[in-house]
Amino acid sequence: MASETIRTAPAASLRSRLPVNWLGLLPFAAFALLFLILPTMKIVIGAFQTPDGSFTFANVANLNTPSIRAAYWISIRISVASALLGCAIGFAMSAAVVLGGLPRVIRGPLLTFSGVASNFAGVPLAFAFLATLGPVGLVTVFLRTQLGIDLRLLGFNLLSFWGLTITYLFFQIPLMILIITPALDGLKREWREAAEVLGATGVQYWRMVALPILFPSLLGTFALLFANAFGAVATAIALTGSSLSIAPILLFAQIRGDVLGDPHLGYALAFGMIVITGIANGIYIWLRARSERWLK
Amino acid sequence: MSESFLSIRSVRKSFGATTVVQDFNLEVAPGEFVSFLGPSGCGKTTVLRMVAGFETPTSGAIVVAGKDVTRLRPNQRNIGMVFQAYALFPNLTVAQNVGFGLKVAGMGRADIDARVKEMLALIKLPEFGDRYPYQLSGGQQQRVALARALAPKPKLLLLDEPLSALDAKVRVSLRDEIRLIQKNLGITTIFVTHDQEEALSISDRIVVMYGGKAEQVGAPFEIYNRPQSKFVANFVGTLNVLEGTVSDAAAGKVALASGEIALPGHLGGARNGDAVSLALRPEAIALGQRAGADTRLAGKIADVHFLGSVIRVKVAVGESIVSLDTFNSPSAPPPEIGQPTQISFSASDLLVLS
Amino acid sequence: MRRLWAWGALFLGLLYFVLPLIGMTEFSLKMRRGEYSFDAYAKVLGDPRFQETFSYSVAMALFTIAFGVLLVVPTAYWVRLKVPRARPWIEFVTLLPLVIPAIVIVFGYIRLYNTSSWLPLTGTATGTNVLLMFGYATLALPYMYRAVDTGLRTIDVATLTEAAQSLGAGWGTILARIILPNVLVAVLSGAFLTFAIVIGEFTMAALLNRPAFGPYMQLLGANRAYEPAALAVISFSITWLCMGLIQIVSRLAPKPPSQPN
Repeated sequence: MASETIRTAPAASLRSRLPVNWLGLLPFAAFALLFLILPTMKIVIGAFQTPDGSFTFANVANLNTPSIRAAYWISIRISVASALLGCAIGFAMSAAVVLGGLPRVIRGPLLTFSGVASNFAGVPLAFAFLATLGPVGLVTVFLRTQLGIDLRLLGFNLLSFWGLTITYLFFQIPLMILIITPALDGLKREWREAAEVLGATGVQYWRMVALPILFPSLLGTFALLFANAFGAVATAIALTGSSLSIAPILLFAQIRGDVLGDPHLGYALAFGMIVITGIANGIYIWLRARSERWLK
Repeated sequence: MSESFLSIRSVRKSFGATTVVQDFNLEVAPGEFVSFLGPSGCGKTTVLRMVAGFETPTSGAIVVAGKDVTRLRPNQRNIGMVFQAYALFPNLTVAQNVGFGLKVAGMGRADIDARVKEMLALIKLPEFGDRYPYQLSGGQQQRVALARALAPKPKLLLLDEPLSALDAKVRVSLRDEIRLIQKNLGITTIFVTHDQEEALSISDRIVVMYGGKAEQVGAPFEIYNRPQSKFVANFVGTLNVLEGTVSDAAAGKVALASGEIALPGHLGGARNGDAVSLALRPEAIALGQRAGADTRLAGKIADVHFLGSVIRVKVAVGESIVSLDTFNSPSAPPPEIGQPTQISFSASDLLVLS
Repeated sequence: MRRLWAWGALFLGLLYFVLPLIGMTEFSLKMRRGEYSFDAYAKVLGDPRFQETFSYSVAMALFTIAFGVLLVVPTAYWVRLKVPRARPWIEFVTLLPLVIPAIVIVFGYIRLYNTSSWLPLTGTATGTNVLLMFGYATLALPYMYRAVDTGLRTIDVATLTEAAQSLGAGWGTILARIILPNVLVAVLSGAFLTFAIVIGEFTMAALLNRPAFGPYMQLLGANRAYEPAALAVISFSITWLCMGLIQIVSRLAPKPPSQPN
């Protein structure tokens, strides 16, 4: 190494050393390309191809049927609702612990529990909610026998928009708590005090200072929670079988071959999902750039 | 008493079992600049935070302009405050920061703009209105914080170590600027600092605090030259302490290891054989014989620090080392270490520490 | 006043989280009529399909962790040491699995690596297992990379590397004997998180037709009443155990040496 450096001119050695350093990233790049980028590209390209490989808009146009539109629409609604509620409730709980003057001992357990609950998704989560809010679940039975409230008569059904939203909140809220707690810690006490001493009420402080400062984090978490709910397959399938037609379940059935029809419709369905989570993140990046002029 | 603008009456503050401020009394006249000076943990910031309303006194009262504000929330007190870490709102521009207090008070847009412009001119940053805090230097940020505090025309200005996060040069220039603005506006000001030079240079009066109590309250000249306790004497400025024994109480004579000195009328009720500590500021001592000095002690040059315009010389006098300052003179070389010498001073400059 | 509101928010939140846990636990104990029993658990644990799928998923999790560590630690280290300019790109790529739904990624695998493709991984069971492991590694990538990168931030990578080099260590030695032990806590955190993710994963395993624990749970859920609740309790305990282990290793870990500056 040293002898080489002596032989080559400094400028040349700098130029030749740069690619060598980048070569160290080759394994990672190969992995990301083969198992993340290329599969995604395959979907995107496939969505615009006919079975014989020529370009077409037909697959994407075929998405425009009432049942597929409805599936996307309910998926979007569930994702937006569970992300919004997840953000709001997670924020309230985190704020209660960080700013609400609750004893600091609560903090550690809350964060640990959030770590657990945010990972307790998928099939078992659906079982837990079936055992609680299902037809013979703990809460359902308690309300019916003890208080005379029949959830079913009230129109509540776990296999519905609200049922899925409430279930998804079980991992959405903890995820919000995990992300927003450090951001709330970043709010300096002096900001609040400076606002107070300048005559601001608590509401004015939140509206004019704290929320704008937190806005990028809130937005980013919202985009993440949206994608999280939008791509959730396991919980929905375990909860509803395939009785509730949401976009990921539709795609799942398509891949499984349960649904007869155009194989390239699957590409288009998956492409639609990428586009929607992509748009959510695009909006996030755009709003973040606008709201973060005050950051370097 | 009736003309005082801020009065802090028998204020006490405890957190659980620990008392951080005890029996604190202070009357501040309108337009006066008062500094709280003390080491960290002495309670100076707690007193300031009680005046601001962030802490409620355990007992006692705080009265501003004749009105008891002890239980008022900070946003009802009409007070301006500048924090150590600037505490500018990072999401707002300089102009929005300065206008914050006006906006929450419901002032009209045009009036806010005019007032903000006025304030930015006052702190000499008229072109900086559209910048964000991160684009400013520390000194600039603190000036904006000052403008923000002053914009709503507060009755009282509180400065919580506003200079300690800045580097030395900015600290001195901003210090002078704060004082100038304060004098022009005539606003009653409380300034918390742990830096004695800062307190001495800027204040009308200084409250030296220690262990939650006011050790001494007085004008800078008084605090520096007539400290009433050993703590004040040591905390404010550099001090040479000579330990001695009273040899003749009636004549005011004290025996030191290096000789006897007479300070008639200074010893108070001391009796023969009592141990006394005598203190002297470095600038009160001359190397060699100074005109008008009535006391001389022999010693040896122990060390010489060349500080530029001033040379600090350490002289071994008996058991003690005495620091003294002489001015640099380009034509005369500084004294040499080991050289025998003499120091002289006026016995009336000696402080007898209790 | 504010505190009352805070307690209220916390209490309501906790109620929402505790009720399903109580619900599933209670339900899992109700298999025998009229009394609480562990029958459902006995049924589940005695089921050979449970044992097969569970050990399959555990094995997959361990392989995924091993592969993830081998991939992520050298990469994160190299980025910090030699190509900090690549950091934003790498970070962007590691966050992609949070944005692109897993079902889309696995769909891409099926189409890209089918029997008639250039790399027919899905043609054999072993090939599919490998593909599934890569899929899991992709899912775990955001968590693993962030954990390791945070760990590397607390040590002075450049100085440690130079010190090791000056003592004659090669790259392998540096990574295995210097860097890895120093970020062990971070790596273990990432590993336990990966374990928690992989053990119950459903979508990828189901679509690649592998006999994993996730699809087994789903199948049982569709056909039985009480066993699924017992499975949910077991899964929750595993997740809790993983998170608890993360807490324990980060608490037991010796404090990393403080960094100059």
